[in-house]
Amino acid sequence: MQRSSWPWRIFKALCLTAISLFFLFPILWVLLMSFQTNADILRVPPSPFFTPTLANYKALIAGELTGAGSTLQIAYMKNILNSFVLSACSVLLSLLLGVPAAYAFARYRFRLGENIAFTLLSFRFAPPLLVLLPLLLYFQELGLYDTYIGLIWVYQLITLPLILWIVRGYFEDVSPDIEHAYRIDGHSWLRSFLKIAVPLARPGIAAAALLAFIFAWNNFVFALILGSSDVQPVTVGALAFITASGIQYGQIAAGLVLSVIPTFVLALVMQRYLVEGLSLGAVKG
Amino acid sequence: MADLTLDSVTKIYRPRGREPVRAVSGLDMAIADGEIVALLGSSGCGKTSTLRMVAGFETVSEGSISLGGRRLNALRPAQRNVAMAFEGYSLYPPLTVRDNVAFALLRERAPRAEVASKVAEVAELLEIEGSLDRYPATISSGHQQRASLARALIRPAALHLLDEPMSQLEPQVRAVLRARIKEWLKDRGMTAVLVTHDQTDAIALADRIAVMEASRLMQFGTPAELRERPANLFVAGFVGEPPMNLVEAEVVAGDGRPRVVAADGLLTLELPALNGPLAPRPGQRVWLGLSPRHLAVGRGPQRARVVANQWLGDQTHLALELGDGAAALPLIAVAAGMLEAEPGESVAFEVEPRGLHLFDHEDDTALYHGSPDGTTGEPA
Amino acid sequence: MSFLILDRLSKSFGAVKVFDGLSLAVAKGETVAICSPSGSGKTLLLRLIAGIYEPDAGEILIDGKAVTGLAPDARGIGMAFQNFALYPHLTAFENIASPLRARGVAEAELTRRVGRVAEILKIGHVLRHLPRELSNGQKQRTALARAIVADARLLLLDDPLRNVDAKLRYEMRHELPRVLREFEATVLYVTQDFREAMALGRRIGVLHGGGFVQVDRPQRIYADPETVEVARLFGDPTINLYDSELAGGAVSLLGLTLGLPGAADGGRRPCRVGVRPEHVELDAGGEAAPDGGAGGLPVTIEAVTPLNQNAVLLLQAAGGGEILASTTLQRAEALARGPRRAIARVRPEHLLLFDRDSGARIRTG
Repeated sequence: MQRSSWPWRIFKALCLTAISLFFLFPILWVLLMSFQTNADILRVPPSPFFTPTLANYKALIAGELTGAGSTLQIAYMKNILNSFVLSACSVLLSLLLGVPAAYAFARYRFRLGENIAFTLLSFRFAPPLLVLLPLLLYFQELGLYDTYIGLIWVYQLITLPLILWIVRGYFEDVSPDIEHAYRIDGHSWLRSFLKIAVPLARPGIAAAALLAFIFAWNNFVFALILGSSDVQPVTVGALAFITASGIQYGQIAAGLVLSVIPTFVLALVMQRYLVEGLSLGAVKG
Repeated sequence: MADLTLDSVTKIYRPRGREPVRAVSGLDMAIADGEIVALLGSSGCGKTSTLRMVAGFETVSEGSISLGGRRLNALRPAQRNVAMAFEGYSLYPPLTVRDNVAFALLRERAPRAEVASKVAEVAELLEIEGSLDRYPATISSGHQQRASLARALIRPAALHLLDEPMSQLEPQVRAVLRARIKEWLKDRGMTAVLVTHDQTDAIALADRIAVMEASRLMQFGTPAELRERPANLFVAGFVGEPPMNLVEAEVVAGDGRPRVVAADGLLTLELPALNGPLAPRPGQRVWLGLSPRHLAVGRGPQRARVVANQWLGDQTHLALELGDGAAALPLIAVAAGMLEAEPGESVAFEVEPRGLHLFDHEDDTALYHGSPDGTTGEPA
Repeated sequence: MSFLILDRLSKSFGAVKVFDGLSLAVAKGETVAICSPSGSGKTLLLRLIAGIYEPDAGEILIDGKAVTGLAPDARGIGMAFQNFALYPHLTAFENIASPLRARGVAEAELTRRVGRVAEILKIGHVLRHLPRELSNGQKQRTALARAIVADARLLLLDDPLRNVDAKLRYEMRHELPRVLREFEATVLYVTQDFREAMALGRRIGVLHGGGFVQVDRPQRIYADPETVEVARLFGDPTINLYDSELAGGAVSLLGLTLGLPGAADGGRRPCRVGVRPEHVELDAGGEAAPDGGAGGLPVTIEAVTPLNQNAVLLLQAAGGGEILASTTLQRAEALARGPRRAIARVRPEHLLLFDRDSGARIRTG
């Protein structure tokens, strides 16, 4: 039944290669660009052979962009740090609020429960611009404009629904009897939540946190409107590369590579949890 | 309706990156036309793999399967003329139970009136008349299983395969449905192979039972043979509820007749004079098997203490103990009807000669069975 | 004074009334088996007692104190679940130790007590394993150990043998009473298997229609059922039931009229007549039958299905109607080899009569 003829196998291999190329080529190209000078990049026709240079990375790390004859001061490393602070704090706050909420939604039926859960999810598909302008006015009034706290608060619109809905599903997969058994053993409600429910949903919590982190990291429009250079993340900071004197493709590419590294590393580290999360469902306690 | 032959059938799964797994090893079976055979064993013993090979859902790694003289190995499931009732029912959800049951017959372009009367007949047999016009998802799992059985039984196929056919049936209807299904198969001379882990179903339905364990066939025989002449220690410890009491023992030479001594002399039983190549010799270590049905309580030379007395309506199960403390020898005895004995009480009992079996201590094969007529024993 | 008292409990889910004034009293140290078909609320009843759900009305008293309204951790009970409900991320040792940890038992004492219960249940060698590394039987024993380790005053066992194989189930049926005696526990044992209930319960409670229809010793439940449901639930094969009429102190059964000793010669009353399969007596048919088969019912033997200790015969009465009879293996074989005809007889004292509408037992004499 599983036997397949070799023409079929070659066909499959060809298809897989084509698909991989389609998705991986842009990433590879950006990586190559980040080691090229602007002149190499703009050469026609493009050539895969060039002398690699670290100049783009050096410029980014030093914070000095040298364009056509002029030098621009940027704070790209500060932007990366901002991205990190904003995303990490947002995810942490969402975990603190979202995990207990997800547990409540998974275990208890209460009045308007489904409506509240759905409203939270709907933040995910409402266009952000809808709320941005009023928010801008509020934030200026409240003194939250251009602060970490303000942005972290707005980022909850992105991270909280994600965590709530993913983790809720994982809590629902944990047999309530396991918690009942723990309560009957004589443990309090809080202990049964902390010692049984949370550890058993841990793979789901890790996966949700990872996804929320990536979404927060990639956000552009909130930080663009509600923050200035002091708190701007990389997504907004990269705008600075478009200068009056031209577009520095090599530096943009290097900036992209640098901005992808943290999420990439995080995904690699958390991969274990993701896999564990997928396989846990198959093993009954 | 044909005979089925399995000739050194082997199934090896080769999961990528792991050791190959032998699911079925060198299975030889000859099933006669019109015979009902059960494959019995615990999960993972290879019975389901065997059934799936016969049905054509798995390739045969080695050996051959033939049905009515026709080799099946290379045929697709639809070409094999085999009807199957699946453990997971596999009813078509968008069709009513009636259409599910009639499906195969209608596809073979049987006349509608004939199909309708056959559906009515099989529905009455399995008591699903009330569910015929409902959809599978709206009926209980017991009725879904009956519908799945009906769909297989209605077909005049050369071979009927039934995978755990009774597992979901309500206990109150099991006995009568078992009897009716057996009657249906026998009346029509159908050849059937059923796979089950429930030995009650196997014993009740099958002419012969193939006991499987760890990919191998342990014994293939009638229910009476499995009960009276288990081929090895595994079958002895598996067949029967409860199965045979098994105790390590030693054969000693007596004055005249040999004896078997168990549990440091707590239990000594006389053996008839034994002959033959396999007959146990004095000094040999053996497994002593005592059939619970042939431990007669209330008479005889032995005494034991009652640990528990469980009356189950039509039969009594007694847990007995010989001796005290950690060295005590536990035995289970079964009697028909009710038996008065309080826990703690000491009772007399005797081992009827036909309930005595000996197995080799090294390779677990049977050495001796008490004879069914209760007079003399015989070497295995 | 009863140790556990359930006093007129009621519980509904939406429009479905599961319990309606259910009552039960269990003595200290007693094991009561609750046996009924699925969907009758057995599991819910245990959950009400455990405090997982609260009853709508009524009172639960343990050792004289009302526990209704108390959280599960304040009720001091032990419970084993049908699906084991082990903590998948904790070892067998920690699973069993959990109730002791909740009670703040010192480490040395804790280790000793877990060790003792593990030894009694023969799982001492797997204490370091995680639940997923245990066999089904070991999981079941671990769950049982967790329920009894803290000497809970009340044990609720929710069909604990359901998910283990037949052989282990049989062994546990003999082993469990000994373990329960050792811990002097008062036990409610829920099961669907009537043999398990008869083997384990000193008394058996049959749940049906929102309450207990009969709570009695196994012998009485079997021989003297209060309702037709109780009669159908106990016995394998199931009792034969026929619609009939009680008239003139007699009932007719598949064309056979049987006088009931002591029955009042009252009016006609629709009823169902029950005959247990082991009470159907069979004589070889035809000329071999004593007195030519008079007073008996000529039947054909349609199928013989042997069981472990006996055999079940499917009989077809001459005038239509099926009878299940149970007899010894030897006798069944002899009958099956013959012309497959026989005369079936039933003694009047073995008949069980039930009201046709309510299913309640009709007692005669």
